[in-house]
Amino acid sequence: MSVAAYAELQAASNFSFLRGASHPWELAVTAKQLGLSALAVTDRNTLAGIVRAHVAAKKIGLRFIVGCRLDFSCGAPSVLCFPTDRAAYGRLTKLLSAGQLRSEKGKCDLRYSDLREHGEGQILILLAPRKLEENDFPSWAARIARDFKGSVYLAASRLYSARDVRRLHQLSVLANETRAPMVATGDVLYHAPERRALQDVLTCIREKCTLEQAGFRLESNAERHLKSPQEITRLFAAHPGAVTRTLEIAERCAFSLDELRYEYPDEPVPPGKTPNQHLRDLTWAGAAWRYPGGVPPQVVAQINKELDFIEEEEIPQYFLTVHDIVAWARDPDTKNNKKAILCQGRGSAANSAVCFCLGVTSVDPTETKLLFERFLSKERNEPPDIDVDFEHERREEVIQYIYNRYGRRRAAICATVIHYRQRSAIRDVGKALGLTEDVTAALANTVWGSWGGQGDGGMPDKHVEQAGLDPRNMEIRRAVDLANELLDFPRHLSQHVGGFVLTQKRLDETVPIGNAAMADRTFIEWDKDDIDALGLMKVDVLALGMLTCIRKAFDFLNQNHNLSINDVADIPADDAAVYDMLSKGDSVGVFQVESRAQMSMLPRLRPEKFYDLVIEVAIVRPGPIQGGMVHPYLRRRAGIEPVTYESPAPEHGPEDELKQILVRTLGVPLFQEQAMSIAITAAKFTPEEANGLRRAMATFRNAGTMHLYEELFISRLIERGYDPKFARSCFDQIKGFGSYGFPESHAASFAKLVYVSAWIKCHYPDAFCAALLNSQPMGFYQPAQLVRDAQEHGVEVRPPDIGASDWDCTLEEADDGALKAVRLGLRLVAGLREDQAQKVIEARASGVRGAEALARKAGLARGVLEKIAEADAFRSTALGRREALWRVSGLGHERKAEAETPLLARVDAAVEPEPLLAAMPLHEHVAEDYRTIGLSLKKHPCAFFRRGLTERGAVRAGALRDINDGVRVCTAGLVLNRQRPGTAKNVMFATLEDETGIANLVIWDRVFQANRRILMTSSFLFAEGQLQQANGVTHLVVERVTDLTYVLAKLRDGSAIRSLQKSRDFH
Amino acid sequence: MEAELAEDEAALASLAEWCLRFSPKVAVDSPDGLFMEIDGCAHLWGGEENLARTLMQRLAAQNIPARIAIADTFGAAWALARHAPSEIVVWTDATVKSIARLPVEALRIEPQTASKARRLGLKTIGDLMAPSRVALRKRFGAGLMLRLEQVLGEADEALVFLQTPAAWSARRVFADPISRPEDIQRIAHDLAQNLCARLDQDGLGARRFELTFHRIDGANVTREVGAALPMRNAKRLAALFVPKLQDVDPGFGVEVAELTADCVAPINAVQSDMIEAAADVRNADLAPLIDRLRNRLGTSNVWRAAPYTSHAPERAVARIGALDSPCGETWPSDQPRPIRLFHRPQPIEAMAPIPDDPPLMFRWRGIMHRVLRAEGPERISAEWWRRSWEENSIDRIRDYYRVEDESGARYWLFRAGLYDGARPARWYIHGLFA
Repeated sequence: MSVAAYAELQAASNFSFLRGASHPWELAVTAKQLGLSALAVTDRNTLAGIVRAHVAAKKIGLRFIVGCRLDFSCGAPSVLCFPTDRAAYGRLTKLLSAGQLRSEKGKCDLRYSDLREHGEGQILILLAPRKLEENDFPSWAARIARDFKGSVYLAASRLYSARDVRRLHQLSVLANETRAPMVATGDVLYHAPERRALQDVLTCIREKCTLEQAGFRLESNAERHLKSPQEITRLFAAHPGAVTRTLEIAERCAFSLDELRYEYPDEPVPPGKTPNQHLRDLTWAGAAWRYPGGVPPQVVAQINKELDFIEEEEIPQYFLTVHDIVAWARDPDTKNNKKAILCQGRGSAANSAVCFCLGVTSVDPTETKLLFERFLSKERNEPPDIDVDFEHERREEVIQYIYNRYGRRRAAICATVIHYRQRSAIRDVGKALGLTEDVTAALANTVWGSWGGQGDGGMPDKHVEQAGLDPRNMEIRRAVDLANELLDFPRHLSQHVGGFVLTQKRLDETVPIGNAAMADRTFIEWDKDDIDALGLMKVDVLALGMLTCIRKAFDFLNQNHNLSINDVADIPADDAAVYDMLSKGDSVGVFQVESRAQMSMLPRLRPEKFYDLVIEVAIVRPGPIQGGMVHPYLRRRAGIEPVTYESPAPEHGPEDELKQILVRTLGVPLFQEQAMSIAITAAKFTPEEANGLRRAMATFRNAGTMHLYEELFISRLIERGYDPKFARSCFDQIKGFGSYGFPESHAASFAKLVYVSAWIKCHYPDAFCAALLNSQPMGFYQPAQLVRDAQEHGVEVRPPDIGASDWDCTLEEADDGALKAVRLGLRLVAGLREDQAQKVIEARASGVRGAEALARKAGLARGVLEKIAEADAFRSTALGRREALWRVSGLGHERKAEAETPLLARVDAAVEPEPLLAAMPLHEHVAEDYRTIGLSLKKHPCAFFRRGLTERGAVRAGALRDINDGVRVCTAGLVLNRQRPGTAKNVMFATLEDETGIANLVIWDRVFQANRRILMTSSFLFAEGQLQQANGVTHLVVERVTDLTYVLAKLRDGSAIRSLQKSRDFH
Repeated sequence: MEAELAEDEAALASLAEWCLRFSPKVAVDSPDGLFMEIDGCAHLWGGEENLARTLMQRLAAQNIPARIAIADTFGAAWALARHAPSEIVVWTDATVKSIARLPVEALRIEPQTASKARRLGLKTIGDLMAPSRVALRKRFGAGLMLRLEQVLGEADEALVFLQTPAAWSARRVFADPISRPEDIQRIAHDLAQNLCARLDQDGLGARRFELTFHRIDGANVTREVGAALPMRNAKRLAALFVPKLQDVDPGFGVEVAELTADCVAPINAVQSDMIEAAADVRNADLAPLIDRLRNRLGTSNVWRAAPYTSHAPERAVARIGALDSPCGETWPSDQPRPIRLFHRPQPIEAMAPIPDDPPLMFRWRGIMHRVLRAEGPERISAEWWRRSWEENSIDRIRDYYRVEDESGARYWLFRAGLYDGARPARWYIHGLFA
């Protein structure tokens, strides 16, 4: 008997959403193990999973066939479609694009006529319905076989239904009649039979029913798994030709994704010039602009070196393409009333001298001495990668520019695969299993959402217990197990935040393009890993709130402070005052370094120059922390520990082989690039291995190949005589990068924005505060904290008022001092829309005064004016909050006037006698301020409870810094924010604020677990613990907490406050 | 603790029904209140004060904490019950003044309206009476005005009272509670006559009758009879109740007995066109039989089989009402199922080539059958969600075969388990084809 051979041509992966129950790589690995000759992953009307399958198959040496299943909306039977060559593949992607572009997001409406149009060079396998005669199948089969003569087959599967043998016979008869030879397929839904349960659950999720209700919609058995050639041969013993035909088809489908060749678009290169020439010209012109006093010789050398390298690697077009976008954004086009858009590039190639000259980055290579080769080296064979951040409010303009310049056929956004996460997985599984909402919600709510969601596996029993459920209970166990299995399954495709793929030829001949949920947006089916794997070029056009903020601050500086600053480059470098401020941990609002962890690092690191900021940005990250690199670095920096370099045994290489890599970080690896360099230099990774390591790092969660490199890395280092401890911690760091990669090239770009924002905060806290408020939501802090910080820096902040406020916050002349006063804008008023506010502002500009007049002239609805009145913004018309609310709520007549209908001339409030409204007490004002504008300039809420708090033993936050280290104290305040950084899993940071300042809380895991609920939900907290004073930063290490949130409600009721103040106990 | 809204709602509804013994007019006020109109009832309980106290005691006996207020208007009663300091408030002239001191929330207004009033410093009902009504109406709309007027008795309030024993029920209240079995039987008979007479007048009949005895200790005892077709024969109805009343425990006595009819529908005269009405007539003939069977054997023991969508053969049958028609579910035609399915599969011995060929011969009840023809296997995996998760395994399968022996008889056999599975495979017979 000859050796059985079989190629599986019908397998759905989980990219056939809610049908397939295995990852593409699982199918590939299993196919290889079973000894299949080839595998095709045929998802429904999509090629979204094929790159993953292709990559996995290639890695293990399995032949992979590109194809998909086409489902038609016109009544034609479904077919499997396999392109035989590159041209046919292009037709298939065009066919799918056509179907997707004529339907809404996530759908694909295909007709048989589409297949007729694009069918040349495709091999088709007809899929018969359950009942052969159904839907005219025999006549369709004959028709399709005629239309695509010689390329049509008929699929037959053995799924262990009652009449398999009879059906096989009928199919073979039909095959003979139609001349569409019968071919065996597995009609696979999962790689192994153990996945049947999950597949049933997916069916229920898809059909929105429970298992109990699903009935015949479920499969009757677990047979839809990959089967070995021997098994298939046995099952098709009566039709051996059907099995050998799979090999014949696999043979004919010679197309591989490796044949896709990327071509850069032509546009950025003017006719008659080569890309290299043009890049050189642009770079030297840029150099002259960047260095008006003459280009320093070392920069000239650097530029030459980089340009040669770029020419050698044949990637000048990449730089030109990025430059083209950036140049357009930076250019103020006064003719079209377009202001320049701030932008900043980052990524492996961004911080080069060339990119500095091209304006892609503002990081001066002389400032950092970053070496280009470290970012882009031949051995590492990485595709160039530049992400460009733009002002977030103006990124859409950039995107539209790209669409206009390259056209929708050649420019599209990448996909992002939205995966099942813990919460969504348990919800959907719970529903399918018929668990009650309560149980499912309890399970889902114990998950730590975005805080704990990074890099974790399944749901631990502990969480189940905390939800008040028994993890040993069968139904719970089942739900949790299945949810864990469902984790990381793709749920749907969405558009990437800004990854653009640009091509010279039609993009829809390379990858299917579909509609996004947003109007006028299209995106391709592949995500950025897929793009990387195939070597397509991608530019990330990202949005960054801080750039908007900086732009707005520049505008204030130019308008209110008579400066002329239009670009990041106009900010004076190396300002000692800026570094002094940061060294004090005074960084609320500053880009990247405003988190609690960063704030406590700043006084320890004490940055003195730009490169220190690069380190600051990168050091508070999982990599360095997990690798235990932070403390050695700080000790060396402080001069406590000598700077030494680990070295190999003398016989294995030069003693200082690591010095070059680590000299700027005092011998301690802190950046992703350094870890990679160590792998290459010290662990002697081959380019192949280094690439694999980089990939494993990028897709740490999915690949599971990290441990292979771990062994390799550590054993090689030890072999070459390195300290095993060093080897271990180096690799721990690499693993840390895996879950949160942070390379030096990004850190340098971010550091620039750290410096710029810190400079503004340091010298113009007024402009900084106003700009931050106008760019909300962004950053770590709420408007209340930003305002408070500004006040602490001597800025006068004035309340929103219809007589003075614009929509945005503005700067006004202050009574004294060099700083201006910040006038809060109407944007802070809850529920008010910008167009409504603009009407107020316009009316004011035309001289309208008073509530009634506003209502009449501005045509504002009563509900809108009430919102303004409730925010106490009528003060300039001599109306208090209550009086204003009484006045405006009396405008108009019946209740329906409260809707958005403008009030006409029905204002008769004037004739009505004013009632005597009781004056609103201050505490009620404060409560109302918080409700309406999110902060109060009148008084801090805690002040009202001070007596009670003091009796309880609470120390004012402002007094904590004068208490000695180690003393037990209590304090209380509003909870500003909670952070449980991925960098420190077992600690939570919280910040409390009272009328005198803020208190930094540190909560260790034990205390956190015991008080989880209070710590997660409280907005007014009483905390007791031990004070810790270090490096000028004060922390309270919490041991006990009490929730005082309920007390806040008493602000609205004066008598309650009085009684509280007398109260001895808060319970 | 999680709120269980649906259950709370149901509990409130049943409490409202219970309250019917105090007054025929009870209205549910979700989520946590009841209104009772006690005009003309209070004297039966010895006055308003006593009514309130008795009600409170009875509720306390059932572990239901309550607050009760009696007032001239529903609005005032609502406000006082919720916001007055004492648990029981009975309307006097003094309470009028106390209304003014209650918070605005006592007006049954939207929370937003209440917040707005508070924001304006109008925190009590009294505060709201200070400004002019015109000014108030402009700012708060008609809703608040109506509530204010309802509290003050200036506006009427229409409540939706509980579907009183209205249309199809007969009710008897006993001044002296009854408890003798013969009294219970007699009252059933009386009520049946009363109700059936009224049904007869309107040409109606009912398919469900419920007889409820309200005991003085607050418990209810209910007996129910059903009919396959609408009926109104008092004698038959009483006869159906007879066996069911034997075990009625009257406790310390029954104060109210009530018979209600449900599923009320017209009774058509028997049609003359025999062909068209054949089914109806057959049902009409069957109906009394089914009624008697049901009332004797229990409703759940008389049923009809209908297809159900499950791959497991044992579970592919659903029980439906004896005269109901199957609701359109069908079994897939490509899955042959035997005419007769055994309640439990019976073990057999069989000889079959591995791994999954049909058996060549099998022994059932001591007799050897040689298989001449066979079809299969049809593989059916266990419904994994019905068994414990740990026990779940991929070799929990049955391979079904339809086989024919030398005599031409056809059997449905299966092998449980894969031949190389963790447990040894075993053979069974599960049914017979025609």
